[in-house]
Amino acid sequence: MVTITIDGKEYEVAERRTILQAIDDLGLLMTEVDIPHYCFHPKLAVDGSCRLCQVEVEGLPKLQIACDTPVRDGMIVKTANQRVKDARKGVMELLLINHPLDCPICDQAGECKLQDYSFDYGIESARTQEPRRPAKKNADLGPTIVFDQERCILCRRCVRFCREVPKTGELGVFHRGDESVLELFPGTQLDNPYSMNVADICPVGALTTKDFRFKIRVWFLDDQESVCDQCSNGCNIYASRSNNKVYRYLPRRNDAVNDTWICDHGRMSYKQILENRLTEPGIKGQRDVGYRDAIQEAGRLIREARTSSRRIVGVASPYASNEDLFTFRKLLEALGAGPGTFAVQRGEADDVLIKAEKAPNANGARALGFEESYESVGAADVAIVLGHTTTAEYFRDVANLILIDTHVSSLMDQAAVVLPARVTAEKEGTFTNHANRVQRFLPVVEPKFEAWSDGDLLQQIASASGLGGWDSMYSVHEISKELTESIAAFADLQLGSLDDQGRELS
Amino acid sequence: MIIVPYVTGYLSEHYADDDFRTLSAYKAKGGFEGLKKALAMEPEEVVEIMKSAGLRGRGGAGFNAGMKWSFMPKDTDRPKVLVCNGDESEPGSFKDRLIMERGPLQILEGILIAAWAVGASKAFIYIRGEYKEPIRCLEAAVKELYGARLCGENVMGKKGFNIDIVVHSGAGAYICGEETGLLESLEGKKGQPRKKPPFPAQFGAFGLPTTVNNIETFAHAPYILDRGVDWFRGFGTEKSPGTTLYGVSGHVERPGLFELPLGTPLREVIGHAGGVRGGRRLKGVIPGGMSMPILTPNDIDVPMADEFLSERGTHLGTGGVMVMDETTCMVRVACVVSYFFRDESCGQCTQCREGTGWINKICERIEQGRGTQQDMKLLEDVPAMMEGQTICAFADAAAWPIQGLMRHFRDDFEAHIREHKCPYPESFEL
Repeated sequence: MVTITIDGKEYEVAERRTILQAIDDLGLLMTEVDIPHYCFHPKLAVDGSCRLCQVEVEGLPKLQIACDTPVRDGMIVKTANQRVKDARKGVMELLLINHPLDCPICDQAGECKLQDYSFDYGIESARTQEPRRPAKKNADLGPTIVFDQERCILCRRCVRFCREVPKTGELGVFHRGDESVLELFPGTQLDNPYSMNVADICPVGALTTKDFRFKIRVWFLDDQESVCDQCSNGCNIYASRSNNKVYRYLPRRNDAVNDTWICDHGRMSYKQILENRLTEPGIKGQRDVGYRDAIQEAGRLIREARTSSRRIVGVASPYASNEDLFTFRKLLEALGAGPGTFAVQRGEADDVLIKAEKAPNANGARALGFEESYESVGAADVAIVLGHTTTAEYFRDVANLILIDTHVSSLMDQAAVVLPARVTAEKEGTFTNHANRVQRFLPVVEPKFEAWSDGDLLQQIASASGLGGWDSMYSVHEISKELTESIAAFADLQLGSLDDQGRELS
Repeated sequence: MIIVPYVTGYLSEHYADDDFRTLSAYKAKGGFEGLKKALAMEPEEVVEIMKSAGLRGRGGAGFNAGMKWSFMPKDTDRPKVLVCNGDESEPGSFKDRLIMERGPLQILEGILIAAWAVGASKAFIYIRGEYKEPIRCLEAAVKELYGARLCGENVMGKKGFNIDIVVHSGAGAYICGEETGLLESLEGKKGQPRKKPPFPAQFGAFGLPTTVNNIETFAHAPYILDRGVDWFRGFGTEKSPGTTLYGVSGHVERPGLFELPLGTPLREVIGHAGGVRGGRRLKGVIPGGMSMPILTPNDIDVPMADEFLSERGTHLGTGGVMVMDETTCMVRVACVVSYFFRDESCGQCTQCREGTGWINKICERIEQGRGTQQDMKLLEDVPAMMEGQTICAFADAAAWPIQGLMRHFRDDFEAHIREHKCPYPESFEL
C-alpha cells in the first residue's frame, strides 16, 4: 500500500495502480474524488486519449492523465486548481465543436456524460461557427445496436470492449484526425452475445440499443437492484422501472460476478415479466376458478393422499429462491414425503459470463438438500411441482399434479391444480450462484394479476392440507431468518444482512 | 541523379560518387573501419564513446544518442531490437532521403555498431512508402552486406554477434515518424503513438527492448568510432557537436542540402543556397521543418544549433530551413501548415484531433477575408489548449508554428480582418 494525497486528503491505495484505478478501487471515483473521464473504464484497458482526466502531480511540469499515471508513495495530486480546470474546459470545448447540440431530441439526454460534464466542467457558450463534421445518422450496426456517428466522441470504449470482453473485435476507429470515425470492420456486424453492453459504456448518445431507444425518457425511470435469473452466473442488474413496468435491465457492477457486464440474453429477459405469463389458477383444466378454490383443492388432494398413505412427491425448480425452496423442504418434511428433486436445463457456456446451467439457483437447491434427477418421479398419488424445468414425461405415473408456475407450459393440461406464481422481478429473495455466492434480489414490480411467490403458495397449501403449525403466514424475511438459523451453510446470510454484492455460502 | 554540392564535413563527402553505394568503394573510402574498431571493444565502451561524443539525435528532438543506447536493459535474456527511422515526413526535410540514396552503407554500418553496443539481434529500417528509391538503395545495400557476411550470423567473424536487418516500407503517414507510432505501424497496426511510459527501451517493437534512431544519427556513428571523439567534437558547438545536412528550401536561388557544422549562422546556411531569390527581402525563416516556430529577419545571425534556437523560442528540429520572402502571406502559411497537421493528426487525443481541424478552419476563414477579432482570440486559445497535453508531441508540433506566426506576424492577420481580403496579390486561391 502507498499513501497519496488528493486535494489535501490522504488515501491509502494499492501499489501498481494508476491514480484513477486506485480511486476506483476505493469506490470513490466521482463520489468523493471528482476526476471526470471518458475513455477510462475500470474494466477495460487504459486508453489515455480523451485527456479529460488530466490532473496536476506535484513535481511534474506537465499535467498528467490520472487514468495512466501510476501512484507513488507520497504523491501529491491536485484535481481542482485553475490549471486543471482550464485544461478540462479546453477538452470539453474541443469535444463539442463537432458534436450536435441537440440534447432535446437525443435519447441519451439525462444520462449523458457529455451533458453532465459540460454542466460541471465545460464552457457556457459555443465559440464555433463552422458546421459540424458530416456523419451518419441512425446507422444499423447489427441486430441490437443503432449508431449515431455524429454524436460519437471517439473514446473507443466500445472498440476496446469488443476486443477485450467478447473478443470479437467488430469495431474500429478508421481514418485520421478530425475525419476519424467509429465503424464496423468491413463485412462484420456487431452481433455477439454481449453486444448491448456497448450502449451502456458509450458515454454519449452514439450507441443505443434498438430495444430501449426512444421508449421513455430516463428521468422517469428509477433503478431497483436485482439479479438476472437466466443462468447460474447470477449477474447483478438494475431493473429500470416506471409506473410498475420494467423498461430495461442494466448491468450492476459486481467485480466478483459480472464486472460491469451482462449478456444480451439476460438483458432482454425483462420481457419475460409480461410475456406468456400464467395468469389464472385452474382446477382440472377449468380456468375460471378462484385462487382460494384452487388452494383448497390442492389441500384436499394432499389430505386424501395422506389419509390413505399414498405417495406424495415434491419437484422443486432451480428458478425458485433459497427462501421458497426452504419452505418447500419444510413442507415435504412435514408431509413425510422424502427429499424433493429438481432438474436444470443445460446449454452453451462461454468463459465470459454465460454458464451452462440455465437457471439461477441450482446450487441453492443442492445446498438445501434437493436431489438432481432427470428421470420420471415414478408412481405417486400427488406431485407438488414448482414448474419451469420439468416436462410431462416426469409425471407419467402421477395421479394428481399440483403445479405452481410462472409461465404457460405444456404441464398445465396435465395438472389437477394450477397456481400462478410470481417471477423474480415480482418478489424478494436470494439465489445461490454457480460459485455458491448468495445474492439478494428486491421486488421490482407488482404482478398485474393475482399471483403469489412459490413460498407463499406452499404455505397456503400446507395450511389447506390441515398440517399443524402452518396456519399463520410467514414473510420472506422471517423465512430467511429460520433458514439461516437451521441450515449451517446459510449462516450469516440472512436477507436483511446481505449487501448488494452478496456473499459466499459458508 | 542528385548532385550534392559538398561543402564541408564527412557525411556527404563522397555523395557525388555513384560507386560509394557499393561495398568495395565504401570500404576503399574507409568504410567499416568504425565497425572494426567497435568490435574490438566491449559494447559498454562503445556506448561510452557515443555518450561522450555528444551526438544529438537528428530526427528532431536532439536527444543524446549514446545516452539513448545506454537505456537498453542489460540484464535481460529477451531479444533486443534496433529500429532505424526513415519515415522522413516533416515538410521541409529531405536529408534522410539523400543519405539513404547516396550513403546507404553509412547507415548500415551505424546500425551494426549500435547493434553491437546495445546487444540487438534484429534491426528494422522503417522507410516511408513514398521513398521508392531509398527503399531500393537500402535493400540493395543490405543484400550486399549479407553476401559479404557483414550481417547475419557471426558478423565480421565475431562469434555470437548475430544481427538481421530488415528493410520495411511504411504506408504513408506523418505520424509513423513518431517513434512509438512507427512501432505500432511496424507491428502492422494503425500508426498511433503509444502512451509513455513504458518507453521503447522497456517495451518497444513487438514488446521487446528497442532503440529507435534517425537515419542520419546512425550515419554519423561510424565516423565517431573510426576517427574519435575529439575529431568529431572538432565540428559544431560544445552542446551540438558534428555536422548536419541543412535542407534549404523555399524562396532561395538554389534550394538544396548543405553539410555544415552545427552552429553555422543562419545567414551562412541561406547563403549556400544563393540567398533570397531575386534580391527580395527576407520575411521569415522556419529553421527546422514545418513544426518549428518561425524566425524573423532579426534572427538572421542565429547559430543553427538547438541551444541557440531555443533561446529564440524555436528549435533546430530536422534542420529543414524554409525561407520566405516579402511576398509571402503569413496567413496563407498558417493555412498550409494547419491543413497539413489537420490531415496528419492520428486522431487519438481530443485536443489534437479537434484542435488541428478547428485551427485550420479559422485560418482559412481569415485568409478568405471572413475573419473577426474573435478568431484572433481563438488562434491564441486553441493552440494553448493543445500544447503539452497529448500522448505525443504532434499537438505541440501543430500548435507551435501557429503560435510563432501569431507572435511575429500578427499584422498580417490583422490586415486580413481589417481589409476583409488577403492583401497579398501573389497569394493564390485556397
